[in-house]
Amino acid sequence: MSDKEQFEPRIAAFFCNWCTYGGADLAGVSRLQYPPNIRVVRIPCTGRMSPKFILQAFRQGADGIWVSGCHPGDCHYIAGNMYARRRFAVLKNLLEYVGLEPGRIHFSWISSAEATKFQETVIEVTNAVRALGPAKFMLKDIAPQAQREVA
Amino acid sequence: MQQRTEKIREAAKRLLAEGAVDVVLGYRAGTVPMREQPFAARSVEEADELVWSSFCCNNLANFLVRRDEKTAIVAQGCVSRNIVGLLQENQIDRKRLKIIGVPCLGMVSRSKVLDKIGNKTVFAVEEQGEELVVKGKGFEERLNRKELLRDNCFTCQHRNPVISDEMVCEPVQDAAGGDIDKMAAPWEALAPEERWSTFKEAFADCIRCYACRDACPLCYCHVCFVDESKPQWCGKTQDEADVQTFHILRAFHCAGRCTDCGACESACPMGIKMRVLTSKIEKDVRQMYGYTPGMDEKATPTMSVYRPNDPQDFIK
Amino acid sequence: MADKILAKDKLDEFIAKLREEADVYAPARVGAKTTWQEVNGAEGLDWDFTNTEMSPKDFFFPQTECMMRFKNAKDDPEGMIMKAEELLPRSRVLLNMRPCDAKAFQVLDMIFVQDEMTDDVYWRDKREKTLVAGLACNEPCPTCFCSSVNCGPHHQVGMDLLFVDLGDKLLVKVLTEKGEAASADLPPAAAADEAKAAELKAAAEAAISSKVSLDKINAREVLDLYNLPMWDKVHEACLNCGTCTFVCPTCHCFDIQDEVQGQEGRRVRNWDYCMSWLFTMHGTGHNPRGKKKDRVRQRFMHKFKYIPVKRDGEIGCVGCGRCIQMCPVNIDVRQVVDQMNS
Repeated sequence: MSDKEQFEPRIAAFFCNWCTYGGADLAGVSRLQYPPNIRVVRIPCTGRMSPKFILQAFRQGADGIWVSGCHPGDCHYIAGNMYARRRFAVLKNLLEYVGLEPGRIHFSWISSAEATKFQETVIEVTNAVRALGPAKFMLKDIAPQAQREVA
Repeated sequence: MQQRTEKIREAAKRLLAEGAVDVVLGYRAGTVPMREQPFAARSVEEADELVWSSFCCNNLANFLVRRDEKTAIVAQGCVSRNIVGLLQENQIDRKRLKIIGVPCLGMVSRSKVLDKIGNKTVFAVEEQGEELVVKGKGFEERLNRKELLRDNCFTCQHRNPVISDEMVCEPVQDAAGGDIDKMAAPWEALAPEERWSTFKEAFADCIRCYACRDACPLCYCHVCFVDESKPQWCGKTQDEADVQTFHILRAFHCAGRCTDCGACESACPMGIKMRVLTSKIEKDVRQMYGYTPGMDEKATPTMSVYRPNDPQDFIK
Repeated sequence: MADKILAKDKLDEFIAKLREEADVYAPARVGAKTTWQEVNGAEGLDWDFTNTEMSPKDFFFPQTECMMRFKNAKDDPEGMIMKAEELLPRSRVLLNMRPCDAKAFQVLDMIFVQDEMTDDVYWRDKREKTLVAGLACNEPCPTCFCSSVNCGPHHQVGMDLLFVDLGDKLLVKVLTEKGEAASADLPPAAAADEAKAAELKAAAEAAISSKVSLDKINAREVLDLYNLPMWDKVHEACLNCGTCTFVCPTCHCFDIQDEVQGQEGRRVRNWDYCMSWLFTMHGTGHNPRGKKKDRVRQRFMHKFKYIPVKRDGEIGCVGCGRCIQMCPVNIDVRQVVDQMNS
């Protein structure tokens, strides 16, 4: 149990350039405190998110994933987030269907004005992932003991 | 079956003789039991080799993409739906295509037959009405064809072609009888931790030959994500993570497009049931977006459209 | 070397003895399938199998094989240095290998281990540390055509011992010194047993129903074969998947990659296949085998012309028939060879 308490997850966070990324900025200049567990990747739009990014993050050792974009109707490109929503729904279901623990993968709509929602969501996401412990899902491990036995 | 074979030959010969098409895509008898071969007939003589049986398990729509000739294709329900899908995605030209529709009675699973007879070596399989006569060294068994249908054929909802230029016989009952909602997404019943171990086990035998991908008419990308190297999304090794990445992304790429034709499972040399993944996606798409792939040439594929009120209760 | 006898009820003892110094593997039945498994005794051994779905080439040439490891850390004294992966720690015995598969390894020996410059240590190490005991085929399957390609149901090449199943006992043909050492404790075979084995051999050879001819292929020039019009047809059904090459006991192409994670890295080789466009893709964007036809032709030309030309008439096919059974679109090597030979 003590392991889990000390465990600090690494969370790959994909933020839309036009909203959540600005929200994170605003949270910063507003001196809002939030856990330092997220590693932010700026993307032009959630419509640009590919399932490859998510699996690649897990492969490389992310313990959780968080994708955040503009509220429906606010997309800089009119509807990128609306297409993304359909993909996320199917992808999240598929990943959880093959055994990804609920709570590893998160989605949110946060505008650039919502610094407080940003702060709250970081806390929520981090706590959820921390509670699950380190991710084994899809982790690529090249260490010697991980090598498959011959034949 | 014999009637269908004759009508297919007749139609193929006519189209070739008239010069309406350069090639007819169909099946010809395979050299091993329970395996017919996709075949491109280019002359009236060659059209005489075309057959129709319970073992036409490949999806011929797969051979339409990037084909320059005027083509006729033998298509049952699922193949016709994949043709619709390819039309929607602008991969083929309807004007250069003639569809010889075949109302389908389902295809028989080779592995189910082999299981049934205890994996003995089979010399020949004959179809006699609703019975399969399986012959091998020192044995002859009569099996019920319907019980040995492929899983996807058992739950098929569209056995008649959804588009065609001509039909080789009267339509059959559209639904095969199996309940798709009961059969789809079998792992939903499992607890999360069981799912993960079940998933690992189900794909442990994968040898990454990519037969499932290459047999699939949806997979027409010039460069598949597994072949991309900069960045490399999926390693080339047999590590679990690499094998699983391949299967998850392959299945996801079929979202809203898969017609559940079963070509992937029939192609797999290791007998992996990859429909456990695609059937889950197919079910989700049907339930969340009310969309059945490959039914309407004018419709936009479901992942390329949106509705303002799409489900989003999973988004904070 | 004189033939020996191994009663099946003495097999447990025999395997136990082998296990003192080696790991023992054999085709054993798990559920509906017969696959290569580690075995402790005679229990579970399958005496009726035709052949395993996958060839045992994985034992010598694993689908994924780490060759070297490295650390990226520049300041670590061990950093930036390639360290060879440890070789096989313990010897191995492969029991009941079909003669076609054993023959395949002899073909591959000629490719992996040629001379000082071409000496694949990973392959050679495993070959040297492995004893192969074959099991003669008494009931060949309809897709077997081994006797047409320098092999046969009782062929003795590429193995140390050959077992011939006589029912309740095995006739053991001792073929190498390694095999002699392993079978030293076994009693000699009676003349009647040898006669029965010879009978079985003749019957098995007569039972091979598939045949191909290679005489015209051998006589033809490479370019004549290469330009045959048949290639325009053969490839049409092909999906360009890797099934035929991965199940083939003699296909041996691989791709080497470096994998890095954090500060650790490894150099790993994986099976690759000539059916894939990526296999021959150049960095320039040019692909010398850019079309499906080129790739399908390559596989057959390699096995039936290029290898024979370079390896003194040895053929890159052992007639096991796996590709015929497994090909999702039923491209039948026997038909292709017949067309090449017509």
